[in-house]
Amino acid sequence: MSGLRLVGVSVKREGRTVLTEASAAFPPGSLTAVIGPNGAGKSTLLAVAAGLLKPHAGALTLDGRPLETFGRQALARRRAYLPQSPRADWPISVERVVALGLTPYLPAFGRLPDELETQVETALRSHDLLALRHRRATELSGGELSRTMLARAVVGDPDLLLVDEPTAGLDPRHALDAAHRLGQRAQAGRTVAMAIHDLHLALRFADQVVALKDGCILAAGPLREVLDEPLLRRLYDMPARLIRDPDGVSVRFLG
Amino acid sequence: MKPALLLALVVVVVLAASSSLLVGEVGVSPAQAVRAVLAAQPNLTTLVLWDIRLPRTLLALLIGGILGLSGAVLQGLLRNPLAEPGLLGVSSGASFGAVIAIYYGLTSATSLAAPVFGLVGALVTTGAAMALARRGGTLALILAGAAVSAIAAAGVELALNFSPNPYAAYEITTWLMGSLADRSWDHVKLAAPFIVAGGVLLLLTGRGLDALALGEAQAESLGVDVRRLRLLALFGTALGVGAATAVAGAIGFVGLVAPHLMRPLVGHRPGQVLIPAALAGALIVTMADLATRLIHLGPELKLGVLISLIGAPFFLWLVIHVQRRSP
Amino acid sequence: MRCGGLDGLKLIVLASLVGALGCSIPRAVARPVRVMSINGCSDQLVLALADPRTIASVTWLSRDPEGSYMWRAAQHVPVNHGSAEEVVRDHPDLVIAGSYTTPATRALLVKLHYRLLVLQPADSFDDIRRETRTVASALGATERGRALIAHMDATLTRLAADKGPPLRVAAWDGAGFSAAPGSLYASILKVAGARNVTAQTQGMGGSTPEVEKLIATAPQLLVAGAPGFEKPGRQTDVAHHPLVRRFWSDRTLVVPLSSYECGTPFSADAALSLREQMRAKLARAQTPLPFAPVSTP
Repeated sequence: MSGLRLVGVSVKREGRTVLTEASAAFPPGSLTAVIGPNGAGKSTLLAVAAGLLKPHAGALTLDGRPLETFGRQALARRRAYLPQSPRADWPISVERVVALGLTPYLPAFGRLPDELETQVETALRSHDLLALRHRRATELSGGELSRTMLARAVVGDPDLLLVDEPTAGLDPRHALDAAHRLGQRAQAGRTVAMAIHDLHLALRFADQVVALKDGCILAAGPLREVLDEPLLRRLYDMPARLIRDPDGVSVRFLG
Repeated sequence: MKPALLLALVVVVVLAASSSLLVGEVGVSPAQAVRAVLAAQPNLTTLVLWDIRLPRTLLALLIGGILGLSGAVLQGLLRNPLAEPGLLGVSSGASFGAVIAIYYGLTSATSLAAPVFGLVGALVTTGAAMALARRGGTLALILAGAAVSAIAAAGVELALNFSPNPYAAYEITTWLMGSLADRSWDHVKLAAPFIVAGGVLLLLTGRGLDALALGEAQAESLGVDVRRLRLLALFGTALGVGAATAVAGAIGFVGLVAPHLMRPLVGHRPGQVLIPAALAGALIVTMADLATRLIHLGPELKLGVLISLIGAPFFLWLVIHVQRRSP
Repeated sequence: MRCGGLDGLKLIVLASLVGALGCSIPRAVARPVRVMSINGCSDQLVLALADPRTIASVTWLSRDPEGSYMWRAAQHVPVNHGSAEEVVRDHPDLVIAGSYTTPATRALLVKLHYRLLVLQPADSFDDIRRETRTVASALGATERGRALIAHMDATLTRLAADKGPPLRVAAWDGAGFSAAPGSLYASILKVAGARNVTAQTQGMGGSTPEVEKLIATAPQLLVAGAPGFEKPGRQTDVAHHPLVRRFWSDRTLVVPLSSYECGTPFSADAALSLREQMRAKLARAQTPLPFAPVSTP
């Protein structure tokens, strides 16, 4: 069984259960949208899936192997994770921020090996960052920062990419661009999951969906099969309508 | 760029250290120094160079180095340009420990008492300040540091209050001003192992600090053990700065200023700034110690006082600057 | 509390005159029945001059053998801790304080209508004569005062008669201050025939001389004030320096605080004893001094 799999995963925080017996599969070659209202547990699900948060119960496997048996470095090489609104705290250049994605490959001391520099170069190019490479990461616009962080996440070519709210705070064009890049990543055969509020983007780019509410998975599976009007209504406590037209599918809430 | 920077720094530090060997009560010219070193018989110049100025200069390099290094590590770890061992209460904690060791006769039992107690005091205060300031940013950090420092300062006063030595209060006040005068090889032997050990722990944080520039979550996802990083920084600072304070008294602001001077030269990467900051710290303390011997205003101008005179306005500028930058 | 025209003279504040301007003119007063001293140095003069039965109390410091020359006499006299409350408790006719007594205590005593005599520190033998006379006259012990001063002068004459070659020393006190020129410590060293070479070149007596200065001036003896060498502290740091241990371990003389802290008619005796100790120490010293002294401007 390849890809990422969660079986009966529960997470407690300060005595409160924030994720209850969540089971879901994130197959390779697909982009999974994790959707649900605020406070549903989307970020928790991603953090657990990334191995950053220890579940209280349940099992996680990556390519059939229990996640906890991966060493810290080995796991860091196989999966990348971007939290909500990632940013750099120091005015480091874009190029060096992207290079930080190679941290798990670095020796304890010394410079970045040349072959890794080539990878940085490739990531910069594929994310249209060549012109910005010497700009300070603290002075980028939202769209530029989002591209920089995505390049940072994929520079080591991880099998699994988990992104929390990649489109938050971006204008429509940049949001579209970000989601498109994640879709491309999935098409290249990697396992990609994103927590996302923008259902329009989810409908357009995602293959799989995991719908979360109050820490429980209401539905999980191929987007076209799972995402329907009753599910949206249960998720958001509002009547919703899926509108299909020549441009694709969109959601209209009727609250 | 980087090897050139390191080379330049090393050259400047070596120059400063050499001139530090030539300045003092007994005038020594470079030619005299060379002759004295080559002379078979020990003479006044060798005595002064070898037994007085060399240990003093070495301590200045070591102490400045560890202060600059720990400042850089703490700033990187807390992602806060105002972090500094002094602000976190390391100096006051170390002073508290050292005061107890000195005035309650423990130093006569073992000469290791002062650095060891200084170290323990530093460990307790730094640990407390870092735990209190983990969440909450700059303001929380400064407040936690101030609170912990105040507690340690109260401890110093309490210890002095009940000290068996009537002159303890005067002595500790002048001692806290920081000085390297008359430090001998004994002090080097006492402090160097702790400073070097602390320095090694601190240097191990470099890679992790670079990744931490992206925040704790991203750093963890990149394989950095943030908890381990925090412990390395904590123990490294306590070991190194604790021992430095125990032999030289409190010397503030070096840990704040040195990383700031070096950061633009290494592209602001927190892990890359460590070694340059250590060299800059060594340079600052060596030059300041040299200046205390050149400036004659009557009584000895204390090293810590001189550095504070330069460092405090810099701190003020930094506070205003940081406030303006972050809303 | 300063009187414009009196310039340096001490103030006897008469209870009856308080309320005018807090200012009064010293004058002979009726023999006080009971005297109380609330300062370590005035303790010495009171114990030396007053009949023990007339002493209400002296400070607890006066019983410390290390810091007080008159510690034996103090054992038979009640002690105080220098507070105004104790003055009210003992209700003496005359209170003697030092210029270092806190202004708050002094002001309070004046307000409570106590007769207060404030002594100035005695830094020279002339100062000692003046202070002794002042206290003696306030206590009505003029004769005793005269006799003690005569004894002191005789001892000073003896010291001057046998000068010997001047001793080059580096001296500091128990607090780690150098024996600065103008201090009582320096005056005592001078009549004892010693020259403080480090203070001379240092200008001001800031702290213990730096080791480098010791190496450069090569004094024959180090004269270090106790109690620094008895109680744990940092004054001893300089003595622990490897170079100081190497050259001066048998050339270090520890002198008690009592011999130089307060100027009393016995300060000449302290100088005499110091000279004998220095000569004895030097006679036994084996370690050669570090190289020839370098002349410093």
